[in-house]
Amino acid sequence: MKIVTLKRVTLISIFLSLLLVAVILLSITVGSVKVGPARSITILLQSILGLKGEGTETERAIILSLRFPRAILAGLVGAGLSVSGVIFQALLKNPLADPYILGVSSGAAVGAIVAILMGLSTLSFGLPLASFIGSLLTIAVVFYFGRQDGKIHPNTLLLAGVITGSFLSALIMFFLSVSQKEELHTIIFWLMGDFSFSNYQAIRVIFPYILLSFLFLYSRARQLNLILSGEENALQLGVDVENLRLISYLFASMITAASVSVCGLIGFVGLIVPHSVRLIFGPDHRLLIPCSALVGASFLIASDTFARTLLAPIELPVGVITAAFGGPFFIYLLRTRKVVKTL
Amino acid sequence: MILSLLVSLWPSLSQSAPLKFVDEVGRKVAVPFPPRKIVSLAPNITEILFKLGLDREIAGVSIHCNFPEKARRKIQVGSYINLDFEKITFLKPDLIIATGAGNTRDMVGRLEKLGFPTYVIFPKDFDGILQSIDHLGKVVDREKEAAAIIQEIKRRRERVIERTQGLPRPKVFLQIGEAPIVTVGKGSFADSLIDLAGGENIARDEKKMYPRLGMEEIVKRSPEVILISSMNPKGDYRRLLQEWSRWKVIPAVRNDRIHLIDSDLIDRPAPRIIDGLEEMAKILHPEQFKK
Repeated sequence: MKIVTLKRVTLISIFLSLLLVAVILLSITVGSVKVGPARSITILLQSILGLKGEGTETERAIILSLRFPRAILAGLVGAGLSVSGVIFQALLKNPLADPYILGVSSGAAVGAIVAILMGLSTLSFGLPLASFIGSLLTIAVVFYFGRQDGKIHPNTLLLAGVITGSFLSALIMFFLSVSQKEELHTIIFWLMGDFSFSNYQAIRVIFPYILLSFLFLYSRARQLNLILSGEENALQLGVDVENLRLISYLFASMITAASVSVCGLIGFVGLIVPHSVRLIFGPDHRLLIPCSALVGASFLIASDTFARTLLAPIELPVGVITAAFGGPFFIYLLRTRKVVKTL
Repeated sequence: MILSLLVSLWPSLSQSAPLKFVDEVGRKVAVPFPPRKIVSLAPNITEILFKLGLDREIAGVSIHCNFPEKARRKIQVGSYINLDFEKITFLKPDLIIATGAGNTRDMVGRLEKLGFPTYVIFPKDFDGILQSIDHLGKVVDREKEAAAIIQEIKRRRERVIERTQGLPRPKVFLQIGEAPIVTVGKGSFADSLIDLAGGENIARDEKKMYPRLGMEEIVKRSPEVILISSMNPKGDYRRLLQEWSRWKVIPAVRNDRIHLIDSDLIDRPAPRIIDGLEEMAKILHPEQFKK
């Protein structure tokens, strides 16, 4: 693996950013309604530049109110879940870790289900809020039980998270069993993860969480590298391991909570994007974090685009695509590249 | 003592030997005639039974049975999929009426094994509802009442068709689900109502009975009227209206033609389906129905 320099990080980031832009543009040109590629992109650019002119009202509505916010939201969530996955894999020193492993997603689900059963609609503001609160409570509980002697041990945290997650899953099953038919449909739809109701308000709400968390975690990239090379080493080199673990856990969980609250549970992204990026670009977090964010964003936008166009006008749940395409691709990577022993 | 013996034997004395019927899914059912203790396993069945003039004879209903008001006070025996077999055994009904569109074959099989005659109806369209009313009328010994009901419904249906014949058909989008957005396709009662009421369902050609349509599709098909089928006519409505108001590109939104309609009237195969039809016709062609 090449040494990570600022120059290298910048070059690769630019490359991946261009890829991301290309994916976004591609996603706004396809859909069940035919709007030509040139037209779609013109409409988008004109809107960004504040001009008007191109396209009928219908076309503008479709591009600017449906496809574009959907792409942006999917990108944000993809980036968020991927970075969160990177952090959890580092924190728990476990290659199987993903953003949901510590039960945050189950907590979010319980929050959302309670909101749905109380009659709140998925389109209201209350439901993502309830889901977010569910996540926060779970984070607090797992954190409280995951400490041992006032310190966070990866294995204790893992156990606490998995057990809390199991309990919450039982709660979810209970709610499902007492739900009426109509509520069941809404609940299951939410659980499967979906971007069809993406709007700018949701983007505005979660953007700060994701940006803030990303910036913080990226600033600690070097320290995360050191922690992985051994706790003793890290301590001797001046890393406040305990503090870093705590804050990383909180920020990564917050990203997960914010993401899940706006689009439900989308699996696989937080697991395979970090691993794939690690296999291609190496385990250094100074590269891993930004690359995972960019690749995760592109991956989820592409998956969502496939999900809504593959069998148009039927929309598949995006989680189906992330698993169906992500899985085999990851296996391909595993077989054609030497598995880097990182964790 | 002889008197009490006679009194206890009276019910079975006036009930003749079980009459054999064939239900709407082809099963042979032997019904003690006339049935005096009937259990209904679905809301549409309950409505039909009450409309036929029964009340005392209805011993049990499902938890979803909400009409008429009297039905809510009856003993509840469970839901479509979760039947309280103990309660049914306790009630010892002469006849159980189930629906092919909801109650499972399993459930009906179990009821049979427990020894309860179970008659299954399975109306698939508007005329099917009329047939079910006719069949049930025969099974519960209310043939005349059934005939009168059918007559009345046909008359009112004719009136709607007359008034809307030849008029341009507005494009209609009927929303029955919010997240995901679910509408009605061919084969559903609501779809046939839209057609009868003089409208054109934009989801008519979807192959499923309750298809999901993405917003893009709906925008593309630009409906002129949006009907929202609601079981909860209060709070939801305003927020749903708010959601739709983002899409002024859709004619129905632009022209303020978004209406709420009681879901029990348009997708329940029961006598009130004619009320649903009339209401829909009034919404789609208001000029035709001004009193």
